[in-house]
Amino acid sequence: MMKRKLKIYLPFVNAGMQEVATYRVNWIFFMLGEALSCFVTYFIWAAVYSSGSKESMNGFTMPQMIVYIVLMFLTGTIIASDGAFVVGEEIRDGSIIMRMIKPVSYNATFLFQELGNKLPTEIAIAVPMIITVEIIRTVMSGMFEFNVLRLVLYILSCALAYLINFYFNICFGFIAFVIKYLWGANMMKNVIVGFLSGMVIPLSFLPEAIEKVFLFLPFSSLNYTPVMIYMGKYGGTELLYCVGLQIFWVLFFFGLSKLLWKASVKRLSAQGG
Amino acid sequence: MKKIKRMLKIHRIFMAQEFKRMMEYKGDFIVGVIGFFLVQLSNLMFLWIIFGQIPNLAGWSVNEVVFIYGLSLIPKGIDHFFFDNLWSIGYFTVRKGDFDKYLTRPVNTLFHVLVEKIQIDALGEFIMGVALVCASVPNLHTEWDVFRILAMIFMIPFITLIFTGVKTITASVAFWTKRSGNVIYMFYTFSEFAKYPATIYNRFVQNIITYIIPFALTSYFPALFILKGENPLFNLGMPVLASAVLMGTGVLVWHRGIRAYESAGS
Repeated sequence: MMKRKLKIYLPFVNAGMQEVATYRVNWIFFMLGEALSCFVTYFIWAAVYSSGSKESMNGFTMPQMIVYIVLMFLTGTIIASDGAFVVGEEIRDGSIIMRMIKPVSYNATFLFQELGNKLPTEIAIAVPMIITVEIIRTVMSGMFEFNVLRLVLYILSCALAYLINFYFNICFGFIAFVIKYLWGANMMKNVIVGFLSGMVIPLSFLPEAIEKVFLFLPFSSLNYTPVMIYMGKYGGTELLYCVGLQIFWVLFFFGLSKLLWKASVKRLSAQGG
Repeated sequence: MKKIKRMLKIHRIFMAQEFKRMMEYKGDFIVGVIGFFLVQLSNLMFLWIIFGQIPNLAGWSVNEVVFIYGLSLIPKGIDHFFFDNLWSIGYFTVRKGDFDKYLTRPVNTLFHVLVEKIQIDALGEFIMGVALVCASVPNLHTEWDVFRILAMIFMIPFITLIFTGVKTITASVAFWTKRSGNVIYMFYTFSEFAKYPATIYNRFVQNIITYIIPFALTSYFPALFILKGENPLFNLGMPVLASAVLMGTGVLVWHRGIRAYESAGS
């Protein structure tokens, strides 16, 4: 059974890998652009810390803030998922119908194709970035704080975050039934998710009541939880709770995507062909 | 003169077409404008939260920062509104072989590409920019005179061309490489640096955003003159010079590119 499944889905991993190899240069420019935004964030925080009188703000010192910015960037690229766009596009042009007549799971083909797309590139960025983080941390605080257990938990948490993001994006893709302007809808989603997941500002900077709500919402399970785990901000029961919450949201969006898929089969009326 | 008249006429016809298209998809229009509005709102929330923690940012008051931020959005929004089509050149048009259509028409290709589409989403940026400038002005300790207000209005078209110039140069890369969308993206992202006062960056970054990819000229330097009356020759002259150089280079590179262009696809 397992072997048969692998035989079906492994070619998708392979296809994904070939895709990324074709557009390598393009991808590098994209990453450089993303990294630039990171630099802007770094400079603004450096100015904030040198303008304020406090050494630590809402639990973050300047070196920790730098680590936070770099890790947020890294985590963001690790868990990024294109599902919303691809699903939306297929709904819009009707090619989703091709997925319906094939005897493989719609979501699974995607998942494996994207994994193939990501694995080589993510490893290529993650290793140097983790090393950079450790160097920055050691130089700025004078202590070597690297912890293997935390790294392992971080990777685990990232994997869960990716699955949440993957299924959330698949669900979001079904919005194409309502909004035809996918690019706009996606941008809106990215801004809101970016804010709720701590990409813009660490959630601990928000008023406490809002922070509590945001921490429960699925979006803090995306970037914020893995980063906090790596930084050692969560310990003991808090850590278990956060990972548990991540698992809950994976199951939630997995279920929701199945429901939406069923509903869309009924709703779909593709033209032409 | 006759040539300009003809261009204006063509421009008007294309605009009319675009408005018709937009009326057809009103929902898209709302989604796009609100989307770009939210992007800015999220950045403002960030500013608002950090200014709750500090009295000023590297010597800049919250109103001054908001003014610079708002000022950066106005020309960015205008360029985005009129000349967004350059992105499609970088991402799809050349790669799919669709660029050929421009070559067969009796209009200058760059002109055609620029006026072909408008991007209504940009209103989200533009309106936010105007609103922020208006909101910050009453709270600034600036002595307003006619000259400063005129300078602000007079500068906007030139600054807009800094954005358009950078996009034209980077979009042209697609004529050689078939695809340059992310090259445009990378250089365009430098405009993020324009959102804040340039003094928060180190010397190296300051030099890059002043002289090489000069987005500091799009808001910070003009704002220095408008807010503090400092050095008009540099603060206003440099953006004008940069817009001429970038747009001129853009036109040259574009036409070079067209000579190198080989159609793709079948």
